[in-house]
Amino acid sequence: MEKIKESPLFWPVKYKAGVMEVLNETLIPHKMHYVKVRSTKAAVGVIREMKTRAFGQFLVVLYTFLLELRKIKGVRAKDFKAQQKVLARIKEVASSLNKSRPTFPFSEVTGIVVRWAIMAIDAGLDIKSFVNQNIEGYLESIRIKRLERVGKIAELISDGDSILTHCNVSGELAMAASICKKQKKDVHFFVTETRPYFQGAKLTCWEMKKMGAEVTLVADNAIATLMADKTVNKVIVGSDRSCANGDFANKIGTYQIAVVAKYFNVPFYVLTQPSDKIRTGKDIPIEIRKQDELLKYQGKKVFRGRVNAFYPGFDVVPHHLITRPVPIRVTENE
Amino acid sequence: MNKKKITNEDLKAMRQSITILYGVFKKTFYDILKKSSPKEVFLLEGRPSLDSAKVSLRELLKRKITPTIISDNMAGFLFYKGMVKEVYLAYQEADRKGAVCDCGALILAILSKDHNIPVKCFASERKTKFLGTTKDIVYFNGIKVAPKGVPAYVPLIEWVSKNYIAEIN
Repeated sequence: MEKIKESPLFWPVKYKAGVMEVLNETLIPHKMHYVKVRSTKAAVGVIREMKTRAFGQFLVVLYTFLLELRKIKGVRAKDFKAQQKVLARIKEVASSLNKSRPTFPFSEVTGIVVRWAIMAIDAGLDIKSFVNQNIEGYLESIRIKRLERVGKIAELISDGDSILTHCNVSGELAMAASICKKQKKDVHFFVTETRPYFQGAKLTCWEMKKMGAEVTLVADNAIATLMADKTVNKVIVGSDRSCANGDFANKIGTYQIAVVAKYFNVPFYVLTQPSDKIRTGKDIPIEIRKQDELLKYQGKKVFRGRVNAFYPGFDVVPHHLITRPVPIRVTENE
Repeated sequence: MNKKKITNEDLKAMRQSITILYGVFKKTFYDILKKSSPKEVFLLEGRPSLDSAKVSLRELLKRKITPTIISDNMAGFLFYKGMVKEVYLAYQEADRKGAVCDCGALILAILSKDHNIPVKCFASERKTKFLGTTKDIVYFNGIKVAPKGVPAYVPLIEWVSKNYIAEIN
């Protein structure tokens, strides 16, 4: 595979010798700073405070198991009691991570690690090294599959395309843009600002620029005008959770983009991680975040007077609104 | 400020009860709205100026209605959950073919059509330019949000065809 220039948001979490470094996405575009994480509690903190999101959360989950396993010393494969203790600790870590935020499928990811731990005990293997090796192998498979998908996204983009995207697609779209540039395709990206956290304005515009893409920022309310005027001819978004019937959840605002795209016959593509753990979009729990996150910005009030705000973090998009999903499939046994 | 967080349980109770307002209406509109005793009034922010939310908030509070503010990208969620009863759009110009409204109105019109929700138009208090500037959305509440050198496209008005509108007042 040809080497692809990576966006810092493609793999926003690093792990080395018991310390996880998480790119604090809330500081971008002003500063690139990595938060050091050494415990499960701190890991849950960076997720809840949205210092990382989307694929970053997935990495935090798996690296948290690595750093917690590293703290456990000298467990022999034949010491059943000690092995059970490690399993109990893994379950404890999984339980804390599962409670961090409701919409992202944390329990699906932590469930894989718990199953590996049980498999190791059943097979009489050293639980710690078995789980470690599996996590590392799993992450490597995911990296390869994601890089392959970047290539597929680039294939989806044609010369002359004008693409609307929403929120942030964890590096993949920006990297595809970089490939398109190398291939001399003339492509333009319109990025929604993505209130209230501005992930589009802050993260996507920043990484698109870094990767040399042509990018224009638009307000969230401009998407129908862009489609009615034929200023954009494709929509590409990411997803946080997929269902067995093809419905998916993504950042708030995605549903109305999909509905409007259908009305104007604009193809709507979504990057998915297929799962059959949840039946339909109606079953996805949607996180309702604090109203102050909408009523204030960086501690400063935006609206004055007695007022409520409502901030659902995610939308569900029914499968019939999707033109084509661009999936990655990695099984836990890879 | 009322700090009560709306929960998923509250959402169930709000089924088909939300009135959405978008744009800056003439003051008489808010009197008409008050008389209709709306159960729940939701305001969209109306980027980039946020006037849609700020002006309506002020006028509603004067009439003892406490609204709920949402970002412009959150209306779809309310439609998807079946919570919307009606949509009011402020228009700057109108004729028998449709209305010129604040940018964002077309999203609400299409969502309403898709979910069989009536859209009613009332006259706007103001007239805006056709386009804003990059500076208008690169900053939020006085703070820079986008990186240096990123251009913006800022349409401020858009055409909503009569096909989407139940009544123009």
